[in-house]
Amino acid sequence: MNYSIRHTTSYTYHEPVGICHNIARLIPRNTAHQNCTKREISISPEPSMMNEFIDFFGNHVIYFSVDKEHSKLVVTVNTEVEKTRTLDPTPESVSHVSVEETIEEMQQPGLETATIRQFAFATPMTQWNDEIAAYAAESFPDGRTVLEGSFDLMNRIHLDFTFSSGITTIATPVSEVMKQRKGVCQDFAHLGISCLRSVGLAVRYISGYIETISPKGREKLVGADASHAWFSVYIPGMGWVDFDPTNNQIPGDQHITIGWGRDYADIAPFRGIILSSGTHDLAVAVDVERTT
Amino acid sequence: MQNTDPFSHPQFREYLGNSPAFQQMLLENGQPDPHWSTFFTSYFRLGEDEIVSRNNDILRLLRENGVTYNIHGDPSGLNRPWKIDIIPFLINRNEWNKIEAGLRQRTELMNFILTDIYGEQSLIKNGIVPMELVYNHPGFLRECAGIKLNSKKSLVLYSADLARSTDGSLWVVNDRTQAPSGSGYALENRTTMTRVIPELFDGLKVRHLSPYFNALREGLASTAPSQARNPRIVILTPGASNETYFEHSFLSSYLGFTLVHGNDLIVKENYVWLKTLGGLEKVDVILRRVDDVFCDPVELREDSQLGIPGLLQVVRKGNVGIANPLGSGILENPGLMPFLQQIARFHFSEDLILPTIASWWCGQPDEMNYVLNHLSTLVVKRINRSSAGSSAIDGAALSADQLKGLQQQIRANPTLYVGQEKVEISYTPSLINGKIEPRKVLFRNFLVSNGDSYTAMAGGLCRTSSEAGNFLISNQLGGFSKDAWVISPEPGRVIHSLKEVSDTTTTTFNSMLPSHAAENLFWVGRYTERVLGNCRFLRTVMQFLAEGNKLKTYNNEQTERNLLEAFTRYSYTFPGFTGKEKEEKFAEPWKEIRDILFNEKRIGGISNTFKSFHRAIYEVRDHWSTDTWRVIRAVEEELHPEPGTQQTHLQMLHTLDDLITSMVAFIGLNRESISREQGWIMLDLGRKIEQSLLLINMLKATMTGYSSEQLEYNLMQAVLMSNENLINYRYKYRLPVQNTLVLDLMLFDPNNPRSLTYQIERLRAHLQNLPKNIPGHALTDYERLILEADTLMKLVQKKELTEPDNQTRTYKKLNEFLEKLYDLLSAIPGMVSKTYFKHEVTTQPMVMLR
Repeated sequence: MNYSIRHTTSYTYHEPVGICHNIARLIPRNTAHQNCTKREISISPEPSMMNEFIDFFGNHVIYFSVDKEHSKLVVTVNTEVEKTRTLDPTPESVSHVSVEETIEEMQQPGLETATIRQFAFATPMTQWNDEIAAYAAESFPDGRTVLEGSFDLMNRIHLDFTFSSGITTIATPVSEVMKQRKGVCQDFAHLGISCLRSVGLAVRYISGYIETISPKGREKLVGADASHAWFSVYIPGMGWVDFDPTNNQIPGDQHITIGWGRDYADIAPFRGIILSSGTHDLAVAVDVERTT
Repeated sequence: MQNTDPFSHPQFREYLGNSPAFQQMLLENGQPDPHWSTFFTSYFRLGEDEIVSRNNDILRLLRENGVTYNIHGDPSGLNRPWKIDIIPFLINRNEWNKIEAGLRQRTELMNFILTDIYGEQSLIKNGIVPMELVYNHPGFLRECAGIKLNSKKSLVLYSADLARSTDGSLWVVNDRTQAPSGSGYALENRTTMTRVIPELFDGLKVRHLSPYFNALREGLASTAPSQARNPRIVILTPGASNETYFEHSFLSSYLGFTLVHGNDLIVKENYVWLKTLGGLEKVDVILRRVDDVFCDPVELREDSQLGIPGLLQVVRKGNVGIANPLGSGILENPGLMPFLQQIARFHFSEDLILPTIASWWCGQPDEMNYVLNHLSTLVVKRINRSSAGSSAIDGAALSADQLKGLQQQIRANPTLYVGQEKVEISYTPSLINGKIEPRKVLFRNFLVSNGDSYTAMAGGLCRTSSEAGNFLISNQLGGFSKDAWVISPEPGRVIHSLKEVSDTTTTTFNSMLPSHAAENLFWVGRYTERVLGNCRFLRTVMQFLAEGNKLKTYNNEQTERNLLEAFTRYSYTFPGFTGKEKEEKFAEPWKEIRDILFNEKRIGGISNTFKSFHRAIYEVRDHWSTDTWRVIRAVEEELHPEPGTQQTHLQMLHTLDDLITSMVAFIGLNRESISREQGWIMLDLGRKIEQSLLLINMLKATMTGYSSEQLEYNLMQAVLMSNENLINYRYKYRLPVQNTLVLDLMLFDPNNPRSLTYQIERLRAHLQNLPKNIPGHALTDYERLILEADTLMKLVQKKELTEPDNQTRTYKKLNEFLEKLYDLLSAIPGMVSKTYFKHEVTTQPMVMLR
């Protein structure tokens, strides 16, 4: 299955800006389940400098700067992604490890476990309190495997929380989302991560896309107009298993991964600094289309 | 008499009463350390009175040199004078050899850890360092992983705090790798000691500090991109409010590296550039005193205004060297201490030469239990140093409840805590308020990469506890500093103390005036004239008041009123003598005048303007000479009379006289102390702008009203007096004071250095000399303005200016003329600022959509 993705970010400045520096994480990385086969980046005005590099987590990063005075910045990234196989666990691949076994495995010395374990610590955006820890504990009664518990948690977040944009912002802490029981996909991803880390598990924040136009007869997925986010849990024997609490499903055909980090801050699609005293507006448009 | 044993001196007998302190001055065989005998022989030979007097000289010298240490959270004063205790911390040859070898080993070790953490991570791979100590530490900047640095050594600067325990052994208490401070203070201490009290060095071969600073140049140069032959080095400071700002500017002038703020630098085309008055200049090496997370808002802390957007890109490309490299804060990590021995064995197959304090990292269950069970006898630290001063908690000082709270915190986040054994720090003699007293001392040593290996400063900075028994020693808590003397023959050469540190100020960036410095110099110029103008006018007004009191004629009273009102308009100290309460103030003007003179909060008042002046000179403090500072201190003292002293008008007149003398002296000193031509132009430009605007304001406030001849005469006399032109007038015209001639002298006389024409001519010359980015002979905006003002001056019908308008009872034409000039001239600063300073723009993060 192949997808064509078009992601446009437009900044309009109320006063002309002389210099801007930007970091974009908008090129989907290659994984066991997908390959990025084509990419085109167009930036207006023409950037004076553009570098690409791979960050600590292995994500693709584009840095660019614009030196001439401009009032509008438009960045369009066109990519094509080939999905190689789905992520759905098959009966043979299902792992029955418990939380305790998982934690014990992660405690083994060495770089490999260290790179996994770094996803088990709280970050500024994934702090948990007693309320969140208690909410998480409900999904992990004695005898529950990590896979079952994570699935249950995803399911509960989907049922207990209402998708509603405009209520939360990037700065809204998870504890507030927990109280309000409302938010968008990034909030649900952060909440799931906080919950699972409170249990002791290693969890990644995934930034990505989902298919915009659903095949006939299937409902359109939520979160399709912008970038999407979900979480991924480390389960010994299975590796990293993704969960999308917004749509209550284990991501498969219709999810495209851009990259991952400990939380949103590690993998924000676009960040930048301008030298200006004025204000500015931002508009983002995303199209994800199935080509074959 | 020289042979008398100094230890039997009565002053010392008192000190001896405290026997454990004395123990530290004995050798292992129980004999007194001969270095201490030599030292105290010289000390007592000087005599008590002489010591006290020299000590005062030192304090005076430090104050005059502006040596300060800024205290956090002290809103009133930016700085606290640096204090030094003249009894040094002595380190003998054997001890020094051990310290030097031990610290060099430790620095190599730190360098290895840093390189490994951001590279292969073999320490984690091999299970030598627990991953939590790295991955869970806020100093671990993932953005810096995998960056290939230009220099052989990743770590350029290292500094350690050492303590001598009561059994004489030395311990490393803290590691400093983020932006180690103190080397400049150490040098300043030594310079001051050798200058004021050279006798104390008699008979002792004290090692020199200069080899450290030579190595520093080499070490910094080694981080430059390979293609940079003569690397250009800058010192990046967070600004004048930083606690060690004195040191930043001191090192800047001592080493000849330009002192810059984050917004003086810019990233363009994968290089770092310094914004100077003349355009962009490439920068090869940054010695940073800004913490790494604040250095690049694009990838690190996006709310930072102290950094350079895009810096990390340049580092990745290898186009700039930074000392210390970004990410080095990870080493300021007491959690690493328990593992250092194993790391040393792993890396060098050696044991540590200098032991580390016994430490237990709570991320391991047994260690955590030990710490929890022995909390009251340990010192607890978080693995990351918090920005709010000292992060060490002395378990012994906690109440039962507090202990419980700490235990809970540790249990909740064990990986973040370390327990450390409490070292019983030994005492050393210190001169406190004229008496020798025992104090605990921390000794900070500095090491720097010289390119291939590390050079340790043969000396250092000591800090003593503020009270005898105090456990925590920190500059933030007060206390004294001390010089540290390494007594050992100089390798290669033997030099005597007096020639210790000569002024080796070099300027490699001679022509480069950072735009930030340019802006502040411009403001220094403006405030200088503002203070001076206000002082002179106020003095004139006060003289009239004092005389007027004797002759209560109508004209005199009216003159007083007009002058007081004019002063309010001139100085913008509204409502002043113009508001609703003006009648009361006319009746008793001295109270208002006192307020204008001394009240720092009175906007436009003299104290207030001086404060702005002071802030501006402080921002560019590396531009002023020692003599300049002495002048500034004098004014400061003048403006801060002892509280409660009744200021009579006579005393206030004296104050104004002194202020005027000092400010004139300041101006005189500038020409010689500001070496950079562009700096001088900016300063003088500011002065001329301010002088022009002040003069126009004064003439508007005093000479545009049409009234009785006597009153006009009095006001004009005041104008001439406060511009120090009365004698000039009499000499030139030999006629009674009349307005056509006053205007001729004050506005149009090209030979009068106080006339407006003169100021405009200087302005024109300065503006022409500013570097230009526009082609050919085109005029800049500000050149147009000055040309227009000049033309207006030349074309005006002088006669019309003194024709009264009967309807408004004013000299209307004069008023219009002055207003037009004011509009033209007052627009110039904004344009200059826009072209050269551009500081109205700040960096801001772009909004993000999720």
